[in-house]
Amino acid sequence: MMQPTTDKSSIDSLLEKLGEYFADMPASELMNPNVLTMSKDRTLWHTKELMRIRKISGVPIVDQKRRLIGLVSIEDIIVALENELIGERIEKHMTRRVVTVAPDETLTSVVAKFNRYRFGRFPVVNSEGTLLGIITKKDIIGAILERFRLMYVHDERRKSALEGTTEWFEKSLISGDYVEKDSANFAFNIDYTDVDMVGIGAAELKKFLIARGLDEQSVRRISIATYEAEVNVVIHSGSEGTIYCWMENGKTVKVRVEDTGKGIENIEQALKEGYSTASDHVRELGFGAGMGLSNMRRCSDKMMVMSEVGKGVVVEMIFEISGGKKDDSERSN
Amino acid sequence: MTLKEVADLLNCNVLSGEDDLDKIAVESVGASDLMSDVLAFGSPGMLLITGLNSPQCVRTAAVVGACGVLVVRKREVLDNTVKLAKDLGMPLLYAPTSMYKACGVLYSQRLKDARELNG
Repeated sequence: MMQPTTDKSSIDSLLEKLGEYFADMPASELMNPNVLTMSKDRTLWHTKELMRIRKISGVPIVDQKRRLIGLVSIEDIIVALENELIGERIEKHMTRRVVTVAPDETLTSVVAKFNRYRFGRFPVVNSEGTLLGIITKKDIIGAILERFRLMYVHDERRKSALEGTTEWFEKSLISGDYVEKDSANFAFNIDYTDVDMVGIGAAELKKFLIARGLDEQSVRRISIATYEAEVNVVIHSGSEGTIYCWMENGKTVKVRVEDTGKGIENIEQALKEGYSTASDHVRELGFGAGMGLSNMRRCSDKMMVMSEVGKGVVVEMIFEISGGKKDDSERSN
Repeated sequence: MTLKEVADLLNCNVLSGEDDLDKIAVESVGASDLMSDVLAFGSPGMLLITGLNSPQCVRTAAVVGACGVLVVRKREVLDNTVKLAKDLGMPLLYAPTSMYKACGVLYSQRLKDARELNG
């Protein structure tokens, strides 16, 4: 099978580097589930046409129960063209011994397979042999980039937090630079003692952003995301908190909401829509539906959450103002 | 349809913003008791119908850019909710009807669904 025509070396080194952070991502998260397939009764000419029209470099061949029985790659097509076999049935010429990946195989294992076999793609197949999706290097990078938008930091930065320094409290989660809180264009201390006061910080920030002439759409999503972050401080942290906002050259707005309270025990779980540890009292106030973090994620262009139990939570969100405006209707993810 | 017409249809008490009700057009309607839900689906210019009578309903409405809030179901609206609505200039209506009925009446007036508007 052929390699895709992308710049191979740069992709490989990128994958290697990112691999450390995403080593445990399962194939089911990396794969493209919308894979085009064909039945063995069609001809190679049909496969060639599908590849040409959809610009793909390999087509899994499945039976009626969607079990993988083979694969036709561009290389198979070239051989068929050379030997004038292009009109023959797929069944006769497809690659039958396909190297596949299980849905729970990790990124590390998938990358190792790319290196070992030098194939351009691996079908993802469950234990019954049913085709679930396909993974190309492009799919891996896409899945990683999607996850980058929201990364739970449990790498070196988390380690330094565990070692007793609270350095991450002083540093930007996204850029790693020291946060100059004094230079913030906006700062608001969150009063956690009165639940009725929740949202005032977000409302103040909204006023501030409008006064700065920011467009309505951007102000709206920044306020919504900040509101949710503020709610989290009030209902969950049991500590004081602060909202900081920096406007960087009119193109980027950075919001950082931090507290020194209880912290989040399981961020992965907290990020799931519908998951909530809120009390009934909080629910009566219309919050605690388990949508806070996902709402924040939806409204921001980049978001990072860092937490350590007993030390607090820092949420950092980046909003791109010009050009990179995120479609607010993107809610079904 | 204006907020004034909504208020008349549902026999609302107007708790804030009475003077401008006939100048404000309701572009769409959304109903929820979950403020996070409102933050997720709310669209600018919507009327928020909610059973929540605490200040959060007004603050949430302000953040999503709602044109007004209609509190239903509850026996009363808390004083600090009314005060906040006045401070923020957010029209606040109150009708002791059920949420189902309020929604049904407005739906039959062909007002748009805020959630659909927002994709």
